[in-house]
Amino acid sequence: MSRKVCIAGGATTPFGYPMHLTPEAMIANCIVETQQDIPDFHLRDLDLMIYSHFSVHFGKQLCPEWVVHDHLGLVGVPHFRVENGGNTGGSALYAAFLAVKSGLFDVVGVAGWETMDNVTQSQGSEFIALASDTRYEALAGGIYPIYYAAMAYKFMKEHNLTEEDFALAAIKNRNYAADNPKSQWYRGEYKKYNRDLTIDDVMQSRLISYPLKRYDCCLMSRGGSFALVTSEEWAKKHADGKYVLIDGAGLSSCTIRAGDRLSFPGWTERYGKGYPDMTEFAACRHSGEVAYDMAGIEYKKAVKEVDVAEIHDAFSSSETQIYKALHWCDKDNIREFVRERRTFMDGDVPVNPGGGLMGFGHPVGATGIMSAIEVYYQLTDMIPKKHRSSKTYVRDAQTGLVNSHAGTGTSISNFILRRP
Amino acid sequence: MVDDKRMHKIPDEVEYTDKHSDDFRGDVREHGFQFVGYDWAPEEEQFKIYLHYDQLYYWKLAELSKMGKGFLDGELWGTKCPKCGDKFFPPRVNCWNLDCNLEKTEWIKLKPEGHVHTFTIAGWSGKSSLKRLPFVLAYVVIDGCQTAVANELRGIDPWDAEFGMPVKVVWADPKDRRGTITDFWFEPADGWKPSPMNPEKERIKELCQPVYEWVKTLK
Ligand SMILES: [Zn+2]
Repeated sequence: MSRKVCIAGGATTPFGYPMHLTPEAMIANCIVETQQDIPDFHLRDLDLMIYSHFSVHFGKQLCPEWVVHDHLGLVGVPHFRVENGGNTGGSALYAAFLAVKSGLFDVVGVAGWETMDNVTQSQGSEFIALASDTRYEALAGGIYPIYYAAMAYKFMKEHNLTEEDFALAAIKNRNYAADNPKSQWYRGEYKKYNRDLTIDDVMQSRLISYPLKRYDCCLMSRGGSFALVTSEEWAKKHADGKYVLIDGAGLSSCTIRAGDRLSFPGWTERYGKGYPDMTEFAACRHSGEVAYDMAGIEYKKAVKEVDVAEIHDAFSSSETQIYKALHWCDKDNIREFVRERRTFMDGDVPVNPGGGLMGFGHPVGATGIMSAIEVYYQLTDMIPKKHRSSKTYVRDAQTGLVNSHAGTGTSISNFILRRP
Repeated sequence: MVDDKRMHKIPDEVEYTDKHSDDFRGDVREHGFQFVGYDWAPEEEQFKIYLHYDQLYYWKLAELSKMGKGFLDGELWGTKCPKCGDKFFPPRVNCWNLDCNLEKTEWIKLKPEGHVHTFTIAGWSGKSSLKRLPFVLAYVVIDGCQTAVANELRGIDPWDAEFGMPVKVVWADPKDRRGTITDFWFEPADGWKPSPMNPEKERIKELCQPVYEWVKTLK
């Protein structure tokens, strides 16, 4: 199929906890900001709306997308909601990609949000844990940071990594977030430090679940995001110079319970016995390979070809695990890869210059869209306008990667974005 | 109704003749929606409403009932595929092998022992587990199963847990059992001894201390 799909605009609200903005106002704000960048875009152009929202528990409102849709004045336009855990945003984007690729729609709006500040943090942790197999894991006291920590600890041992190696991702993303006025870190706790965060700060932060400390974990947030997914024809005509191509898109799945991955027949068939165990994200590797194939990127050359990436750093450890799953490094050189800071701004592949989930924040339904919009800004040279300075602007980036995760790696999507 | 051996029978009517709701349900009150307060910030014109919501749920174990009843009796029941022989705990009622094409599995009683595949020391958890912190959550492979199951590892200082360590299943007092995964936990196998303190253990111990202190302050 030769029809090409584009991202031709988008915006994100500030992320915060707490923050005082209704979902309908969040999306309205994002659309207004998109129109400032793409003046030709009008609400009448939208011929499908896909809503990205994870948990109705946070709002005590089933079908909250209907509230937002009405509010935007879009009655009559087809709409549905995508829910896929932490990968809700990536999955909604994937649905929009399919809708345009199929030729059925030309202009699709993807709008996502989460209002996690409606409950306390410990209650929020428990709500999110309802996405795990509650009959076994959540009932035993498990919440997502705990599951991720158990996976990370084994990964750390088997790859000869240390807590400090994980902490590199934690400080990188937060320190980049300080350059992003919308990020929760810059708007919140950064004020307490007013300086770059150090490895020591991470090491001294409170235990969440060994080896993860507080600063190894992402932020619970309220926030919204919007992306305009269109045909190339529409983008050329209405957003010339401000659109990117979605050249690759992959979506894959893994078990809900991380403990079921030791010899899952489906993975044994693809990647051999004992893979992914509890240390790697098979769904990331697989969806990454699908996206690379579509975009014509050789796996081993991916680290050279991808110029900038926004990846789902729910935890510093998971960002590190993703480096390997995306073929940027392997078991033998991951230690050097991390320590040489190759994912920092001056490395081969700057990761999360927008701040990521640890810096920008993680209002689940908005997150994957936020990541895509940050890469879109990079590839359209809009970063200097959107961030506080050019410190987190990856100049001349041609190819970007967007990654979105759910569960303990239960659903993962990857997208390759390119300048036209 | 299609007649196929892989399908699970759905009883027309279930009569729970052996009822225990009083013990467990206690005085859980179902409130439904309750509006219990509001805040107003005149300067910023911000209004916030407090909504409380409470609900009693029923989890029907249905095809997994044998597992729940087993917990009450201090027995660990898993399943096994008669075609390929894969063994599961938590039980899967159909085989996961696509080649077995949803073959119905058979119940088997598992030996209450296994080994730690991986683990972590939790210093933060959901609201209902805060007072148990810090605890070890271990993924344990029980009795040769193809999967690992997460549960608490007790009877050990958190920093003494080890990868691969042998563990046994320990049951809660019969009067405290609820037919759920929390009816048992893991403890080190008889005769197992932790290795001496080392820098990594010291580090974990140091991280745990503030958690112990913090938990003491919880009401
Ligand atoms: Zn089988």
